[in-house]
Amino acid sequence: MNGRARWATFAPHLRPPPVALAILFSALAGGALVLVSGYNPLLAFAEIVKGSLSFDSLPDTLNWATPLVGMTLVAAVSLRGGMVNLGGDGQLVIGGLIAALLPLVMPGPGGLVSVSALSTAALGAGLYATLAAWGETRHGIPMLISSLLLSYPAVGVTSYLARFPFRDVTTGLPQTAMIPAAARLYVLSGALNVGSLLIAAIAVTVIFVDRRTVAGYELRMRGNNLRFAGYGGVNLERQAIGTMFISGAIAGLVGAIVVLGSQFRFIDGALLTPAYTWSGLMAALLASGEPAGAILAGLFFAALQTGGFAMQRETSVPRVLTLVLQAIVILFLAIRQGVGTRGR
Amino acid sequence: MPEIEAVGIVKRYGGLVANDRVALSVDRGEIHGVMGENGAGKTTLMTILFGLQAPDAGEIRLRGAPVCFRSPLDAMAAGMGMVHQSFKLFASLNVWENIVYGAEPTRGPFIDSRAARAEVAELAERHRLAVDPDAAVGQLSVGVRQRVEILKALYRDARILILDEPTAVLTPPERDALFSVLRRLAAEGRTVLLVTHKLHEAIAVTDRVTILRDGRTVASLRTAETSPREIIGAMTGRNVNLNVEKGPGHLGEPRLTAVDLTVAGAAARPAVDRVSLSVRAGEIVGIAGVAGNGQNELVEALVGLRRPDGGRVEICGVDVSAADVAAHRAAGLAYIPEDRAAVGSALQASAADNLAMGFQRAAPLARGGLVNPGAIAARARGLIRRHAIRIPSERMTVGRLSGGNLQKVVVARELSHESPVLIAEQPTRGLDVGATEYIHERLVAERDNGRAVLLVSAELSEILALSDRVLVMFEGRILDDLAQAQAEEESVGLLMAGRTREAT
Repeated sequence: MNGRARWATFAPHLRPPPVALAILFSALAGGALVLVSGYNPLLAFAEIVKGSLSFDSLPDTLNWATPLVGMTLVAAVSLRGGMVNLGGDGQLVIGGLIAALLPLVMPGPGGLVSVSALSTAALGAGLYATLAAWGETRHGIPMLISSLLLSYPAVGVTSYLARFPFRDVTTGLPQTAMIPAAARLYVLSGALNVGSLLIAAIAVTVIFVDRRTVAGYELRMRGNNLRFAGYGGVNLERQAIGTMFISGAIAGLVGAIVVLGSQFRFIDGALLTPAYTWSGLMAALLASGEPAGAILAGLFFAALQTGGFAMQRETSVPRVLTLVLQAIVILFLAIRQGVGTRGR
Repeated sequence: MPEIEAVGIVKRYGGLVANDRVALSVDRGEIHGVMGENGAGKTTLMTILFGLQAPDAGEIRLRGAPVCFRSPLDAMAAGMGMVHQSFKLFASLNVWENIVYGAEPTRGPFIDSRAARAEVAELAERHRLAVDPDAAVGQLSVGVRQRVEILKALYRDARILILDEPTAVLTPPERDALFSVLRRLAAEGRTVLLVTHKLHEAIAVTDRVTILRDGRTVASLRTAETSPREIIGAMTGRNVNLNVEKGPGHLGEPRLTAVDLTVAGAAARPAVDRVSLSVRAGEIVGIAGVAGNGQNELVEALVGLRRPDGGRVEICGVDVSAADVAAHRAAGLAYIPEDRAAVGSALQASAADNLAMGFQRAAPLARGGLVNPGAIAARARGLIRRHAIRIPSERMTVGRLSGGNLQKVVVARELSHESPVLIAEQPTRGLDVGATEYIHERLVAERDNGRAVLLVSAELSEILALSDRVLVMFEGRILDDLAQAQAEEESVGLLMAGRTREAT
């Protein structure tokens, strides 16, 4: 028994890196899928690469990556501490709605309005996320469940508000009124706005906090072994609430960036249809919460998804294929982890 | 002709050889000890004998004939029985149901419960293993559960009985009762294989011992003709100091005080029932007791992991009754927890990160909320060197360390706090002789440096060897407070079983 345990701990070093292998396997499986559907897989993959990484398409990829990487950070921050925030959707729409409504009522210079909108959105979504942490630390409601369940009322209520009290009656659509041009995010070039820089800055901050601060160290230790952190003197309740606040605040900020930077209004459902929350969660899981790896995985998924649009345009292979590829990557990783842990 | 024989057994796990041409030969009617340090290959050998895994090479011979067990069912059919370290019983079923499980006497399609019950009662009577066939197993003490396990093997008429570390969970009287059962079974012509790393047990009960080291058989000795020193020498490959050297202590002020400490339990009875104790600077106070008598809850309340339901805890004069772990540590507490893997360390984290825990907020490891990785690494390297922790680099994760080395990481970290109070909970559980010796030396050194040490251990010999005073805990209460000179194995053993001095 002893020997087996020792062997199992050495074994991973003899294996090729799991992420690369998972990507390879998913490419093979996805390629086979394309092949049996009667298309040329190499052509499809070429379009994905061209459509995401060529000079012309790079800004599109980055624009798509902004919310996706943002939501990756949402998941990674909590996952790093061993908590799962499944409430990204709810926090996203809360941030989005706040950012869509505040500029309609707030006077003052545009820059001040957008900064206020961004920070209020972060604050609101962050506080909403702490509800789940509070429920767990005080009442023992598992955060995995409560964070997800809290998402539904948030989505429902924001949808109601956008459809009824705050609806822009000049259009026939379930959306709020356009925000004034002055309050929109500064455009860098084409589709890219300052929101991408903001997410990049947050990403750098998250990595820095993770590696170089006491809070990051304590969160890592918590994620590694909750009881060890508690035994070492970390205040677990305060840590859970603080972490969920940060996680939710980033989600709120992502919602605000999409609203203030691209959609200019809150359109019911528009923040949720691309499923940033879930792609982000998968990317974070791929790196088991390690921020730098999660960000890379988020960028990879963003490239895959953007490339998917191009592939659909050019080759008539449906872009769903890229989502399939994404899922297969995760599955292969999950299988490998299961194999690695068996018998311990 | 030997009853059972293992010849040239080889078992590899990848690159690691757990059994390397192991030889074992056991005669009929003998109690045969299998000894060795952790990782010596004892358990691997037993699982091969019992058919739980197949050897890569070598052969098992039963009364001279080669056998090949593909599963424990084959082994049982050939007359072997095994009592595992963790019992394999159904807690919700009663005793006779557990014993006949898988071999029930039937009448038509139904279990003949009357016959089964009678057979179990008769079997228990015959082997003088007192159990109530109708008792629910979940309600029984560990000692009685072990009897159920033995009866389960005897019900299948096991001629060869393997017991893997059977005494780890027993009180001394229960242990002695087990040994007399084993002697009777041997006298009947059954063969007993006793896996243990406790020396005095092997001396007390076995006829012969086979000693494994690093997966090899290093000695096979007749117990009557050997000495503890020879066995230890064979187990470790060197001379080990068996006794703890300890001079007189220099008593100081009380550092850790508990008054009427109470912790509610799952049952109606509190887990910790108005416990008062005081540990002074320069002494080791040992808490003896069979595991599960409230020691865990007491320690959790003392260190701040659990809020007490009543009473008071003071560390160096500071009332920490309602405070969190950080406040306990700030008041002057270091703590070696019972479970080094589940509580005392983060297995996937590096040794440097593990050794930094508890120091992460203060200089030199951190300034203004930022950690200093260089200082963390330098400090870890210092501790690794000072405590001779066998790890190639402080960047390596501690999950790959052996039990002894992982415990050294925990001990190194907690001792480096230089806190006035140290609570050590089962500090040598599962460790081999060498690592145990090291930890014992460190605890005595702490006491000699004027620290107040509270030692909690289910290992009575450890308590008796190290403690200046012994408290005996039973069902959540402290039954007695004995000076080291008064504390003897027999009297403490009786107290551990709940018998106070007046009653005996």
